[in-house]
Amino acid sequence: MPSQSRRSRAVRWGVPVAAIAVVGAAVGTGPVIAAVQGDPTLPDRTAEQLLAEVAKTARQSQPPAMSGTVVETASLGLPSLPIPGGSSSSPMSLLSGSHTLKVWYGGDDRLRLALPGPMSETDLISTGKGEAWVWQSDANTATRYKLPEGKAGAHATPSVLPTAKTPSDVAAEVLKAADGNTSIRVENGQHIAGRAAYQLVLTPKASTSLVKEVRLALDGENYIPLRVQIYAKGTAEPAFEVGFTQVTFSTPAPENFAFTPPAGAKVEEKTLGAGDGSSGDQGAETPQAADAARSKLRTFGSGWGTIAEVPFSLADLAKPATGERGGKWGGEGDPAKVADSLLKSAKQVSGPWGSGKVLQTKLVSALFTDDGRLLVGAVTPEALAEAAGQK
Amino acid sequence: MSTLSSATPAGDVKDSTAPPGATNPAGGAGATDPDGGTGAGFHGPSTGSGTGTRPALAAGEQLGSAAGERLVSATGVPVRPSAPRAAVRLLASELGLTFRKPRNIAMLIVLACVPVLLGVVLRVVGGDNDAPSLITQVAGNGLMLTFAAMTLLVELLLPLAVAVVAGDAIAGEAGGGTLRYLLTAPAGRTRLLAVKFANVSVFALVACSVVAAAALITGFALFPVGPVTLLSGSTISIADGLLRILIVTGYAAAGMAALGAVGLAVSTLTEVPIGAVAATVVGVVFSHVLSVIPQLEPVRPYLLTSWWSSFDGALRDPVATDVMTQGLLVFAAYTVICGSLAWARFSSRDITS
Repeated sequence: MPSQSRRSRAVRWGVPVAAIAVVGAAVGTGPVIAAVQGDPTLPDRTAEQLLAEVAKTARQSQPPAMSGTVVETASLGLPSLPIPGGSSSSPMSLLSGSHTLKVWYGGDDRLRLALPGPMSETDLISTGKGEAWVWQSDANTATRYKLPEGKAGAHATPSVLPTAKTPSDVAAEVLKAADGNTSIRVENGQHIAGRAAYQLVLTPKASTSLVKEVRLALDGENYIPLRVQIYAKGTAEPAFEVGFTQVTFSTPAPENFAFTPPAGAKVEEKTLGAGDGSSGDQGAETPQAADAARSKLRTFGSGWGTIAEVPFSLADLAKPATGERGGKWGGEGDPAKVADSLLKSAKQVSGPWGSGKVLQTKLVSALFTDDGRLLVGAVTPEALAEAAGQK
Repeated sequence: MSTLSSATPAGDVKDSTAPPGATNPAGGAGATDPDGGTGAGFHGPSTGSGTGTRPALAAGEQLGSAAGERLVSATGVPVRPSAPRAAVRLLASELGLTFRKPRNIAMLIVLACVPVLLGVVLRVVGGDNDAPSLITQVAGNGLMLTFAAMTLLVELLLPLAVAVVAGDAIAGEAGGGTLRYLLTAPAGRTRLLAVKFANVSVFALVACSVVAAAALITGFALFPVGPVTLLSGSTISIADGLLRILIVTGYAAAGMAALGAVGLAVSTLTEVPIGAVAATVVGVVFSHVLSVIPQLEPVRPYLLTSWWSSFDGALRDPVATDVMTQGLLVFAAYTVICGSLAWARFSSRDITS
């Protein structure tokens, strides 16, 4: 009798164990099943063939209309920052943790990005009619950016690729340029967001580089980049990853690309300057200022080991940010505070070149010298110190 | 007769003062107690418990005797009602007890007061410009009060109310001494547990609906009501807004029901109802704490609490069905796991009091 009861008890407890196993299996194997289900057969391609295909597609057609969910994960090894945590909808929060972005692209410069947060959302809507809206539900503010005339269709062809050559020439040229400092290989059989994809793996040859490799996954059909992963040396998980978890190549509903500021919202109007058209805030800076900054910039090394040097004094950072900016980000995401806490975690170093503070993250090191220079590069702090010596 | 015999027979009922109908585990309570199958017959013996955990004795007895008359067939042999009907009756009796208990009524009243209070304060003080947008929007649109109230309550007060009912479900009966009388009915432990969970789920739905209704009434009474601005910046009609409130309420209730399953599992472990309630609430608080530690970010998707507020997916354009579906799957997973744990524990446990 007791053994029987013990057995029946064991059977009963087997049910929850089985339930946990089933749920665990569903959680664990979901991605695996998705990976297996995808179309497994893509013809093998060498790096040159793949780049040629990419160049050909990029030149012949616009990117296809699509919508999907993008997950961005940053584990940059930044010191803990006073930025809004986890799932906030503030753009500053993208610097750490994992975030989900929704993307809709309808062709003809019609684009919508949504960054959802808890009971909040930040939206960027490009209507394709020379204007873009930024909607922040937190602040109940809609900002309208007018794009300068004639620039609307400018990004259709990637300007980095010389247009006079055949795609295979472009591929050969890119490979030749990369040959000195990067080894490139292609992996087949990747599955991202249920799509078969090629993966280009770029491995820096420079020993000082903090980057182990960069993996770029391209859709097997239309060569849209589906995922970028940047691995730091000595880590198994990517330090930075942005990729689709779900993607559909069909035209999204037109409502996504229309925006009317809701009643009661604050509406601001801004015109993007002639400067960098893609970044909103920098638009206000004059081109002269940008030129001046460029002339002060010095670089050392090449390829992955490039180090940039700009005149910069720590005293600048200690100054409070201008009122307008401080107000814009609110208390938590204030760039001045972020910079302040970054500096607090910096290490004091010195050498034949002088002394300063060094800040190292997984992918980037920065050296603030006491004589007013800032050296930045995706290299080890030792390489920065060496460069600081080459006056 | 699996109700009591799954454990060692001698261990089932130790109290020699128990009524005869309950002391014979193998004898078939259904035979000796004609209305046992209704689940209401236990109220008779429990009169002497004096703990007040089952206050609806008179009603229960009436129900029991009425059912008993119907259940005795012409030959005088008791007939068991069909299983679903018996379960429904047991559930109805449970619901009656739950919603008549002064403590539960008080909790529902407190829940209803929060949106009213929030609305009155916003009306009197007015939203200042530094407040979160959701709060300022309430001043412009009464419908937003529902979402504001739900955001506020879904984190702690609603879980607290559900934890009280769920934690009390089994442990309260065990602690009050009424559990073994419940188990003398041939309903079986599995069905009793299922009914208890259904009872908790209904309470969760009612609690969420009470919050939504109180907020809606306050919103309509104190503020102008008009088209609703979604988080994505687009505007929808009032009817569509009401539909979204319905979705939000249903989603929140599903999340609370999942917590109810957790509370029920804890409740089967103890005979001290306050212990089960406290453990469940502490679990909720602990889970909230875990979810704000940045280093534990990878754990966050697996926590029950981090999905409760995902009802905001209904306030986006288009509705974030993917996030909400995932949330519902998490709720289902918690319900299945905790439900099976509760079942394994409850059906193999010795009922000693």
